[in-house]
Amino acid sequence: MMIFDLHTLFSILAIALVGGVLGLDRTAAGQFMISQPIVAGPLIGWMLGDTTAGLVIGAVLELIWVLDMPVGTFVPADSTVGAVSATAIAVLGGGGRATPDLIGFGVLLTTAMVPVTMAVDGTIRKRNSRLADRAVAGPGEDAGKKLSRAHLTGLAVFFLKSFVLYLVFVPAGLVAVSLFVHMPGKAHDALALFVKLLPLLGAALVVRKLSIRNLDRFFLAGFVVAALLTLAVPLHPLIIILLVIMAGYLATQELMVRQNR
Amino acid sequence: MNEDQRTIRTLDLLKVFMRSFLLQASWSYDRMQSLGFAYAIEPILRRLYPDREEYRSRLDLHREYFNTQPYLAAFILGATARMELERASGRGRAADIPELKSALMAPLGALGDSFFWGALMPLAAVIAVAVLMTGARWAPLLFLVLYNGWHVGLRAGVFVWGYQSAGDAVALMARYSFTKMAKLFKAVSLAVIGGTLGMASSWRPELKLTVSLPGFVNAAAGLMITLVLVVVLRKGGSPVKLMLGLAGVCLALVYTGVV
Repeated sequence: MMIFDLHTLFSILAIALVGGVLGLDRTAAGQFMISQPIVAGPLIGWMLGDTTAGLVIGAVLELIWVLDMPVGTFVPADSTVGAVSATAIAVLGGGGRATPDLIGFGVLLTTAMVPVTMAVDGTIRKRNSRLADRAVAGPGEDAGKKLSRAHLTGLAVFFLKSFVLYLVFVPAGLVAVSLFVHMPGKAHDALALFVKLLPLLGAALVVRKLSIRNLDRFFLAGFVVAALLTLAVPLHPLIIILLVIMAGYLATQELMVRQNR
Repeated sequence: MNEDQRTIRTLDLLKVFMRSFLLQASWSYDRMQSLGFAYAIEPILRRLYPDREEYRSRLDLHREYFNTQPYLAAFILGATARMELERASGRGRAADIPELKSALMAPLGALGDSFFWGALMPLAAVIAVAVLMTGARWAPLLFLVLYNGWHVGLRAGVFVWGYQSAGDAVALMARYSFTKMAKLFKAVSLAVIGGTLGMASSWRPELKLTVSLPGFVNAAAGLMITLVLVVVLRKGGSPVKLMLGLAGVCLALVYTGVV
């Protein structure tokens, strides 16, 4: 089977363009969080005709990376590149429909790429200091226009960074998929299992970052309320989530009142 | 020239607010948001200083080092716009503006990081993931609505408040109680993530842990694995290492015939 037919090449180009725009939202423009995996994954999945794969990848990567925060000079892992590349590799590698093992393979592959994306991001942000020098207006120049031009050049730089990364990562991932399909069935089973365990790792990361306790009381209370309701009452899962949110809200309010006394 | 006639229009303030969304377009390690701040405040300076040399020197002043949480930068931008107006009208000291910026950027940075990145984002994310796990395909939209309802609302609110109060950060804290909201959001996030595990039997089939166990056993198994992973993470595991390690464990489980 030919890996890079015309349709795949156009798809990669479209992903790189959309991924480049999504990448701007991470730091450079807006920060409306359309770059978060839970949005970027399904969007790319929808573009390629398999929204479900994007939803699954988006959900697990969202939990895993949501608390990797851009504090001070720390530049977190690029979860947008991770979600977009993993979805594209899984869907395109599966000929338009991602199987669970391919989803696992895509996620694993893009996880291995995280240090590369962080290094590229770091280099770009170092080079951006040159823009400050370019913002200085010469005699007779409009200082405001010169500054705006230099500042907005940063948008093109950030866009190109993501665009080029996708043009490298997605084809490389598809080559890797073409090798992966020849691996023994057990390797495929293992990566399908890997996908099912990822939400648990995501949940552990959230608990680790939000609480100082291993057995956090809100976490356990949420678990018990949801498990008992699921077991005892035939309620729609969305209603159970709503009840858990309300229980968490009321318990926190109660705790705050007690602490203020 | 009659200094007291200097005014800024609502449209100028709107331009500053819109430009605040591009505050970090040229973010760099050493200058951080300095160019972005000057870019955002520029429409006000152009309005207030018709003298080109004065305009240029004010713009240069705003290219000094600046870094804070990007959303709460709107408060400092609003306050700076007001103080530039006061200065241009002869009612404020030139030194007040850099002093205000340097006094506010660190505390607002810490406050904004802990509220927006550390509390609001995980809350919106875990609720959306919980909804998505039940099979709802509109969860990404829910995430965007939950997050941006607060984000854009607060961003606009603190910008207006910064302008009206001329940078009264104490009043800002009293008005928005970010710390209390952060505490609440974190607790609810933890409850929701616990609840998501408790509903493991209702997860979408692509992510359901196993179909051969009864619902509660399934959920309890998920809880135990999660707690083990929390302990491992506390010992210093990074997400990348843990994901690679988890893939290794899965391979071992399958090859040894455990699963």
